[in-house]
Amino acid sequence: MRRGLVVALGSLLVSSLAVAKDLRSAVESPDATKILQKDKLPPPKKYKMPKGCMTTDKLAIERGKYIFHNLNGKKAKTPPPPGLPKFVVVNGKKKPKQYGNCVACHNIEGAKGPGNVGPDLHNYKKHFIDTGVRTYAYVYQQIADARIYNPKTHMTINLTTGLFTPKEICEITSYVVSPKKEK
Amino acid sequence: MKRVVSLALSLALATSVVVADEKLSMSEADRAMYQEMLENNPADIFVEEGAELLDELGGEEALAKFLGQSEESLPKYIAGFPRYIDKIGMVVAIDQMLQAFMYDQGKKPYPLKSEEMDALQAYVKSLANNEKINIDVNANEHMKKAYKLGKQMFELRRGKRGLSCYSCHSPDVVGLRLRMQILPDLGAPDVKAAATWPAYRMTKGKMFTLQKRFQQCMKNALLAKLPLGSPQMVALEVYVTDMAKGQTIHIPGLKR
Ligand code: HEC
Ligand code: HEC
Repeated sequence: MRRGLVVALGSLLVSSLAVAKDLRSAVESPDATKILQKDKLPPPKKYKMPKGCMTTDKLAIERGKYIFHNLNGKKAKTPPPPGLPKFVVVNGKKKPKQYGNCVACHNIEGAKGPGNVGPDLHNYKKHFIDTGVRTYAYVYQQIADARIYNPKTHMTINLTTGLFTPKEICEITSYVVSPKKEK
Repeated sequence: MKRVVSLALSLALATSVVVADEKLSMSEADRAMYQEMLENNPADIFVEEGAELLDELGGEEALAKFLGQSEESLPKYIAGFPRYIDKIGMVVAIDQMLQAFMYDQGKKPYPLKSEEMDALQAYVKSLANNEKINIDVNANEHMKKAYKLGKQMFELRRGKRGLSCYSCHSPDVVGLRLRMQILPDLGAPDVKAAATWPAYRMTKGKMFTLQKRFQQCMKNALLAKLPLGSPQMVALEVYVTDMAKGQTIHIPGLKR
């Protein structure tokens, strides 16, 4: 409404070739403060792993795996396992559900086109859990909000941003530490 | 005519890149096509369109006059954008400067997101081809402030994945692979982003400006898109342009 008025006023000025030309008013310069405010990342948060979080349930691990290897419900090429939607409704609009795209940064068993920004997660259980280097709670926290261990981490923040639910973080964690058959 | 045919051909090729390109960052065939397009950039036609649009506005002579330059000093001056322009009263990128210029010429300015503006600004920036980027982020308080805001914007983690530009373009990760893509060092001589956009993106079959390229990264990484021309977006352009300071401008660029 207000913009329409400004534009109308602007062209009026142009057509009458106004004497005092306000060049600034002709330049688009929308303020992004509100957009940034809404997009803000909350401060780092320490989480307690929920009860019964770690699971060997096949379907739960399948969902974790699917989230690990895919970007979102629109780009994914195979159908998601039961219990994981392809699309979600946000503010009345149907949107592709976002997944973790962890494979963009991490190699792991069966990864297609993995990146190497983050550490290789092959044989994670054998190398890190069974040796006592990491606990399940550590892995959960790392995936939920890695800033707790490294304030400057390059890893994505997955729970504090509300991208995933605690249950989904549990399923991803369970997948990462699960024994795997493929190379 | 010949140009139009070759454009159509390269567009057809470009669509096939999208398909072939999904797995690898660049296949042999794409690399060969890249070499070919280097000699005949499909975006040349948009730049030529921009030249015609500038002619309608009085050409380089009128633009130089508007900017208080001679036609000889114009290229070097253009190589210094974004800059603070006193009579506009703010730090502007080339496209915004052109909006003020159009208005001054009694024309209705093209919207920043229009294809006309993309073409016009690509041509105007190409006037500075072979010049070195000479942005001066210490020129005045306005530029200092914009640079500082730009650095903030570059490092600000936000969005549903909590990422920032820095997450993927910081010195400690550039050269690593995100999926199959090498993370580019935006200031490196083989990338020099600010010296090469507007550029033709082979994977999209279209020419984009630097700010539109920023928006693509924002969209991919789930950061809310900053609007073109916002002080925050212009500041980001100031910051990224300073990374390529001293590098030779070559418009239109050609990108994967
Ligand atoms: C943009 C890059 C990136 C993405 C995307 C990413 N990570 Fe990471 N990840 C890292 C980096 C870098 C580290 C190394 C630790 C650090 O820098 O804080 C890491 C560390 C980890 C670790 C700890 C390994 C260890 O024991 O030290 C786990 C587990 C992990 N990531 C899982 C995931 C999962 C699951 C996802 C997806 C939901 C994911 N990552 C997405 C970059 C990423
Ligand atoms: C999740 C990772 C990621 C984030 C976050 C990210 N980028 Fe990028 N960016 C990339 C990758 C990967 C490429 C190269 C893509 C290609 O080769 O097609 C790229 C390319 C670019 C380019 C083009 C470089 C060239 O070739 O000239 C620019 C400019 C750029 N990014 C700016 C930004 C800005 C500004 C931000 C923040 C608003 C940002 N990026 C955030 C991953 C990222």
